[in-house]
Amino acid sequence: MTSVEEILTTLSKELGEKMLQTPPSQLEKVSVRVNAGIHRDALKILLDKDESAGMSAITGVDLGETIEVMYHVRTHGIIVTIRTQVPKKDPRIETITDILPGANFHEREVADLFGITFEGHPDPGRLVLSEDWPRDLFPLRKDAEITNIESKKENITALDESNQSSDEGVLTTVIIGPQHPALIEPEKFSLKVDGEIVKEVKPRIGYVHRGIEKAAEKRTYLQDVYLVERICGICNAYHAACFCQTVETIMGTEVPARAKFLRTIVLELNRIQSHMLLLGHAGLEIGYEPFFQYMWRDREIAMDTMESLSGNRVIASFVTIGGVRRDLKEERIPKIKAGLATLKKRMVFYKNLLESDLTLKMRTKGVGVLERQDALKLCVVGPVARGSDVKMDVRKDEPYAAYDKIPFKMISYSEGDSWARLMVRLDEINESLDILNFALDNLPTGPYRMRVPRIVPAGEAISRVEAPRGELFYYVKSNGTAYPERVKVRTPTFANILSFVHIAEGGNIADVPASFVSLDPCFSCTDR
Amino acid sequence: MSLDFTLVFRALVFPGFSFILLLTFLCDWVERKIEARMQNRMGPTYTGPAGILQPFADFIKLLAKEDMVPRNTRSVVFKLTPILSFSMFVFAMFFLPIDGSNVILNSGFQGDLIFVLALVSVANFFLFLSGWSSSNPYSEIGATRVLTQFLGYDIPLSILAFGPALLASGLSISTIAASQRIPFALLLPWAFILFIIAVQAELEKDPFDVPHAETEIVGGYETEYSGRRLAFLKLAKDVQIVLGAVLVAELFLAGPYGPVFLGIPEFWYTLWFILKVLLVVVITEYLTCIFARLRIDQVLVVNWRLLMPLSILSLATAAGVAFWLNLGVG
Amino acid sequence: MAKKIKLSPMLKEVVSQIFRVPATQKYPAVRPIVPEGFRGKQIFDINLCISCGLCASDCPAKAIEMVNVEGKKRPLFHLDRCVFCYQCAESCPRNAIKDSGFFELASTNKYDLVIRPEIDHEKGSEE
Repeated sequence: MTSVEEILTTLSKELGEKMLQTPPSQLEKVSVRVNAGIHRDALKILLDKDESAGMSAITGVDLGETIEVMYHVRTHGIIVTIRTQVPKKDPRIETITDILPGANFHEREVADLFGITFEGHPDPGRLVLSEDWPRDLFPLRKDAEITNIESKKENITALDESNQSSDEGVLTTVIIGPQHPALIEPEKFSLKVDGEIVKEVKPRIGYVHRGIEKAAEKRTYLQDVYLVERICGICNAYHAACFCQTVETIMGTEVPARAKFLRTIVLELNRIQSHMLLLGHAGLEIGYEPFFQYMWRDREIAMDTMESLSGNRVIASFVTIGGVRRDLKEERIPKIKAGLATLKKRMVFYKNLLESDLTLKMRTKGVGVLERQDALKLCVVGPVARGSDVKMDVRKDEPYAAYDKIPFKMISYSEGDSWARLMVRLDEINESLDILNFALDNLPTGPYRMRVPRIVPAGEAISRVEAPRGELFYYVKSNGTAYPERVKVRTPTFANILSFVHIAEGGNIADVPASFVSLDPCFSCTDR
Repeated sequence: MSLDFTLVFRALVFPGFSFILLLTFLCDWVERKIEARMQNRMGPTYTGPAGILQPFADFIKLLAKEDMVPRNTRSVVFKLTPILSFSMFVFAMFFLPIDGSNVILNSGFQGDLIFVLALVSVANFFLFLSGWSSSNPYSEIGATRVLTQFLGYDIPLSILAFGPALLASGLSISTIAASQRIPFALLLPWAFILFIIAVQAELEKDPFDVPHAETEIVGGYETEYSGRRLAFLKLAKDVQIVLGAVLVAELFLAGPYGPVFLGIPEFWYTLWFILKVLLVVVITEYLTCIFARLRIDQVLVVNWRLLMPLSILSLATAAGVAFWLNLGVG
Repeated sequence: MAKKIKLSPMLKEVVSQIFRVPATQKYPAVRPIVPEGFRGKQIFDINLCISCGLCASDCPAKAIEMVNVEGKKRPLFHLDRCVFCYQCAESCPRNAIKDSGFFELASTNKYDLVIRPEIDHEKGSEE
């Protein structure tokens, strides 16, 4: 694995004088600073050296006179940041979607929230804000006044949803969502179909946008832990853990060993809950109700374990800055291990079922195929990538919590269809059960929490965790007060949305719900 | 012209309209309870002892709700099709012997097997019309799927139904049911299994559940209905399930005929009838639970490439069995 | 066919489930067992309170309001805004807020959803 120094030396060698001095921060070791316009060259150099490099996130930070745009590139298992600045009076920068198509939605989000125009973007338009939001109000800028907003009708430009005729014939528009029984959360997908074949998909997200990134700037760090937990119910422990890790990196502290193991335990328990929910939901979408009922009945074991560990079934509120909030008493461990053993036995049945059931395989094999090179170009993360033979997992690439001390396997399948993605998740449940057993057996003694000051020193940091849906990315910038300056969240489904478009286009319309559900969408996470 | 009391009693109370309605509610309850137990949950429990009044309570609840007719529908067709399809199904039941003879005595005739199958097709066609007359894209997609499915599966259904007719040397359902000293399910087991699969597709249950796939097309042809019309549409669906089960029982399981102990034969015939219908309902519910839902093109492939050739083969073998049996009997 | 065709295990599982007790818990006839440490309704001991106000300033949902009770500031808990994170219990320097296993908080009366700080002069302890 190429080390950070080698990457940076290559970049500085090839960019030469175009590379500017980086300001001192926790990010300084892995970032380069260039002028706007040179960012494309820097990106091309990184892509030449590593064909599986992908865009992890694009962050905007309001610095007063300028807006800083940071391109976080994931290469060789680490994140390298390319930083540029654009003046607020004339915020324009060239797009990178021709080099890396997966950056499409990331750029649109920064354009929506900061008002930056990405020149040459193939499909600019509102992404997270609604159409009637005033055109000159950019919420994440520091000088934005968000009170008494009037909905302006003239700002509304409806999507083109009429039936249009083209050379091939008449295209009917079928709209899935925002309210639809196939989707658990509201988003709109406009499909243009010709008979049974889907020709074009246009997603519109932002129906559940709650402005969490802006709200995080108005609350203290301690209150923010609870706020980010509620971005998504099903992966809540991951949001809390990632945020706490980022803040701890800024402070320069390291949590005690017992806290790391306890964090791993609650994270893996959350992963089991999430994957079981998805597998049951997939069964329901393809009409296999007994599979759904059995899976959710067995999921209750994980919910009861979470309740005994953290005090609540879904939102754990277990991780805090400096460690975890409560201890796991020795006398509770045997009952937890008994529950995990029951789950392990049931997983044998489900694995057998997924491998041998005829109608299930007829609905999922060969359906919604995502080829490996498309997965790389679209920068997808998580089981969607691992089902298409892209071997990436933050727990192996950049171990956090206790993952460097616990042995486990990274699961990947190469077929790239819905069946492969469901099998990846099933095998990951088995791996999580093994990790949990190992962690419970080898729990180190010692304190589970350390005192941290309420005021965080100035600085910035990045942290990533492997949430059930993929890589979860946090960037926090602190200005030395008790309130954060900027919190940026890039959730895994946001990175995976483009694959929806790719998978649905060219396929049967009857396959759309089955393939969407195998991508495990979580739209609360997407919209924040 | 004097009103024949027996005729009115038989047509309206037993074994006519009221009995069929109560049998429908019973079969619905058994179906939901068995499906729930297969999925390790409780099923209807609180309405009536063990929840037996639940289907009745659902029907009453729907009758009490507001009944809206959307503006753009073809309103005459929209308003009439639920009650029409319900009455077609009930009328088809009148030709199936329930307590040893048809509902209206001596109304069976040679060829009423074909008549009943035609009535089922017409009633299904009314269900299609109910979806087609609502001006809703989801209803239209659901309605076309119903049409494609039942027109396709009617053919193997009819071909397989002729197997027992050959064995009984007659096309009247009462003759077929009466001439089964050994149930035809044992003499023609392959036809029995294929017939159950064809009935499963006619009744639109898993794995042939496509017209009702809520996750894809919301409510299918029922989307725009509410209130009383929805109650009758759902009731029509339930009567269709009972009709399918009754057809299987009459053609392959010797209908109402079975050992008679003390008392009037009609009582025992009715009892055996109910037990056999419930058995078929349990078997179809089992098939529902072990399969996922197939896509519409996979449903058509199963029909035209699998079921059709096998049903023609089964008819040929049924002819052979009939010939061999008649030769043996003399 | 050289490979053995494996039958789906669902065929047997579905039949065997018919003979098992349903997994449904018969709530509310059967009470669920709530583990110790479950974050239910808060119990506030007014005698331990020192009026520091840390619970109100740390609450992420702004569900605690400091009100005047007999000359001192005491917390009033708005349970309809509360997210039951128990940051108040952690921030309290005197452990005046404790958890209970009571979770059946649904009510049609707004006054049920507020925990008022009241001193009971006869007993010398509170609500």
